[in-house]
Amino acid sequence: MNRTDVLKDYSTPSTLLSDRMLTGIVMGFLLAVMTFFMLYPVYDICRLSFFKEGVLSLENYADYFTNARIFRSLTNSLYVAFVTTVITTVMAFFFAYGLTRTTIPGKGIFYTISTFPLIAPSIIQGLALILLFGRNGLVTRYVLQTDWNIYGATGIIVAECLYCFPNALFILYTTLSAVDTRLDEAAQSLGASALKTFYKVTLPAAKYGIASAAALVFNLTITDFGVPVVIGGNYSVLATEIYQQVIGMQRFDLGATISVILLIPSVGAFLLNYYLTKKSYALISGQARPFLQPSRTFKKWAFSIYCWIPCLFILIVFVSVFLGSFVKTWPYDFSLTLKHYNFPSLGGHAPLWTNFWASVLKGEWQSIIAYKYAPIWNSLWVSVLVAIGGASLTLLAGYIVEKKRPKGEQVLYTLSVLPAAIPGTVMGLGYILAFNKPYYFFYGTFWIIIINIIICNFTLGTLSSIANLKQIDKSIEEAAVSLGANPVTTFTRVVFPLTKTAFFSNMAFFFMRAMTTISAVIFLISAKVKLAAIEIIFLDIDGRTASANAMCTIIIFLVVGMLLAMRLITGKAGLKGMGGS
Amino acid sequence: MGRNLRLENLTKKFGNLVAVDHIDLEIEEGEFICFLGPSGCGKTTVLRMITGFETVTEGKIIFDGKVINDLIPQKREFGIVFQSYALFPNMTVEENVAFGLKVRKMSKNAIAERVDQMLDLIGLRDWRDLYPAQLSGGQQQRVALVRALAPNPQVLLLDEPLSALDAKIRVRLRAEVKRLQQELRKTMIYVTHDQEEALSIADRVVVMERGQFRQVGRPIDIYKFPASSFVADFVGTSNFFKGLRKEDRIRTEKWEFKVSQSASFSGAEVFLAIRPEKVEVFKQGEPPGHLESSNLISGRIDVVTFLGAAVRLVINMDGEEVISDVIEKEFEQRQLRQGERVFLYFPPEAFILYPAQEGS
Repeated sequence: MNRTDVLKDYSTPSTLLSDRMLTGIVMGFLLAVMTFFMLYPVYDICRLSFFKEGVLSLENYADYFTNARIFRSLTNSLYVAFVTTVITTVMAFFFAYGLTRTTIPGKGIFYTISTFPLIAPSIIQGLALILLFGRNGLVTRYVLQTDWNIYGATGIIVAECLYCFPNALFILYTTLSAVDTRLDEAAQSLGASALKTFYKVTLPAAKYGIASAAALVFNLTITDFGVPVVIGGNYSVLATEIYQQVIGMQRFDLGATISVILLIPSVGAFLLNYYLTKKSYALISGQARPFLQPSRTFKKWAFSIYCWIPCLFILIVFVSVFLGSFVKTWPYDFSLTLKHYNFPSLGGHAPLWTNFWASVLKGEWQSIIAYKYAPIWNSLWVSVLVAIGGASLTLLAGYIVEKKRPKGEQVLYTLSVLPAAIPGTVMGLGYILAFNKPYYFFYGTFWIIIINIIICNFTLGTLSSIANLKQIDKSIEEAAVSLGANPVTTFTRVVFPLTKTAFFSNMAFFFMRAMTTISAVIFLISAKVKLAAIEIIFLDIDGRTASANAMCTIIIFLVVGMLLAMRLITGKAGLKGMGGS
Repeated sequence: MGRNLRLENLTKKFGNLVAVDHIDLEIEEGEFICFLGPSGCGKTTVLRMITGFETVTEGKIIFDGKVINDLIPQKREFGIVFQSYALFPNMTVEENVAFGLKVRKMSKNAIAERVDQMLDLIGLRDWRDLYPAQLSGGQQQRVALVRALAPNPQVLLLDEPLSALDAKIRVRLRAEVKRLQQELRKTMIYVTHDQEEALSIADRVVVMERGQFRQVGRPIDIYKFPASSFVADFVGTSNFFKGLRKEDRIRTEKWEFKVSQSASFSGAEVFLAIRPEKVEVFKQGEPPGHLESSNLISGRIDVVTFLGAAVRLVINMDGEEVISDVIEKEFEQRQLRQGERVFLYFPPEAFILYPAQEGS
């Protein structure tokens, strides 16, 4: 073959926009979104709490600290969060130790069961505890025949422990699997006893991971709304007090003040967690882990039994709610029925799917599926949009921060990571204050809910995008550019296909959060705009506990169905590393 | 005049660090040029400025008579081969090679034809449907090479392309790159820290150190006539002695050598350099009488290392270590063994002189 005919000339590739301009535009857009939908609402809360009739004053704070009942919500919150943090961190640490450092059988099952609380609204723990230990609880009324019930601090703590367990476990599991086990072996070969090795080697090596898990649990507990609202009874915490003041008493100023007070511990715990996670990762060695020595029989038994304890609790929670939705009158009449799935007329705005079902179905089915299930269709619809929007925006943010690194990249990073520090209830109230104005056309529609859920969960989405993009070699992109590809082509043909799996698991994460989130969104729903997770609370408040269980069950099945579908699409993509916040 | 690439006063600073320090170079069309230097010498930074991935702090990059400092990488039409191959893992061999053609919106038939030509160049036609992960490192780098060549770039830039490969494959691929370059007459700029690679492959070698050029020239000239003690040390191996010059004699701390090369510089303090293969080794009582007696020094063989065709001896000469490479046949004939006392002979014409106070 004549080689010279290979040397024909080709046209120059075309580039519409320069790379830097495009990066600038995208970054400007993201900064604007984060500023407008995150900073502005928080700013509005601070403004309202520090001003009284247009004058700078601390009157609201004086009100807060002199009203004993409201003030108690602060000490209550701190107490509950502190106890939960201690219990959960210790429980999760030994669980993680069992999964990473022993050779117990059934690790996969333990791990899977421990992730269950992530697929349901946090409220499920509360519902289950009421079914078992409430005024008409199976255990309290039937087995023990006592008047004692779990409402109040005990209930909140137990429920939060279950809810936070998988989140703490993820961090501790990562920490313990990353710390080099050869250190332990070296210590033991030098004659240290097993217990001494644990105290002197294992524990110090995992200290940042432990502290970071503790900070995360503290943050999750002190900001959670779902659990205390159903099981707290008269025991008021900051998150529920905000809702109480705003929705119950129309005291927006006091709600804002409590929000600012809640921001302090939650931002503090977030910063601590963030700082410690970085420290913890710095300790992780890239060394491959050597073969794990078979554990002694006693150790194996002890850890197997231990690991079953939280798993059984979690299973009991899910089974009780599931059963509770199918039996006639818990705990008196256990005959099966579907009547609780015939929800009271929830009405609500009829988006896309409601109209669709109404046109397809006839008679009673039309009323059940189309209208009574309206909040479920709404939730699905919202969740799909949140999944697409959230995964896309966080991928873009991660791409700019990790790969493009323009000037001001640090600002974008900070804004993207910050939402996890802001409690959902605070964000929800902030949205009311900031956007309840006639010219914000999106207020009172689904759009504000979609935006709110995306922003509230931006942190984890961005961090996982960044972690994934880090794995793409810089020269791969440069190769595409040097071959003449413009920025858009480089992104769509090279970068995106390489992050596809992470993108899908981010979509799963956002979908899950949208289906289960309560705290922020509860401020944004209205008679016309209803969501399934919120309906659980209203059904429960209405005394329709069984229907609340039914609604919860439906949500779980939808989330599980979506996760299975994702697994079919991507081949993998589990729950790993998807702790909510 | 062809489409030459010219670097004028080119400088790159990262904060206070001067990575590339006012360099000038003219690269002719079709030339194969190699940037050689230790890591951190700035050679890759020069390459990245030429590609457009790094901005220029000062000076000019001129291609075909036009300053291209501010031209975006896509517009420069330079192909790049990376150390890490950087093949798109989500695309087959064929799709990888076709990528640069597709973004140029070429017709399907033209792309197919060109991809065939390219795969034939490296004999990988049968591998077209495989993914990069299914190929060995050497095969991946060959694909990366033709992927960069497919859009017919004006210049091909190779950034340590063989460093990640095994020694044997490295030598084979080196020959293949050289063959391609000679067939296509494509201007190639090749960055490496491997002096053997640079010397064997390039038309011209640029030796860099601390952001500056130390020597530019044909491989043979660089090896035979290193312009400085740094080059003499970095390119190949050299023995060095520090001494005072007095006419044709150099007095070092312990010895006095006769040299026949007259130095082109003034100044009494000098470095004497001599290549290991120039240092001759004799058993005691062996050396012929006609040798310059002052350059004949006794020592003891400390270390013997087989290099294949040659044997490297480390000889302790009154406390100073001298390296001598002896061809294997000679080593056997003379029965040189470790611990043996020997005579070393430094031929006066084999010494190269450098000023002791070099501009570092």
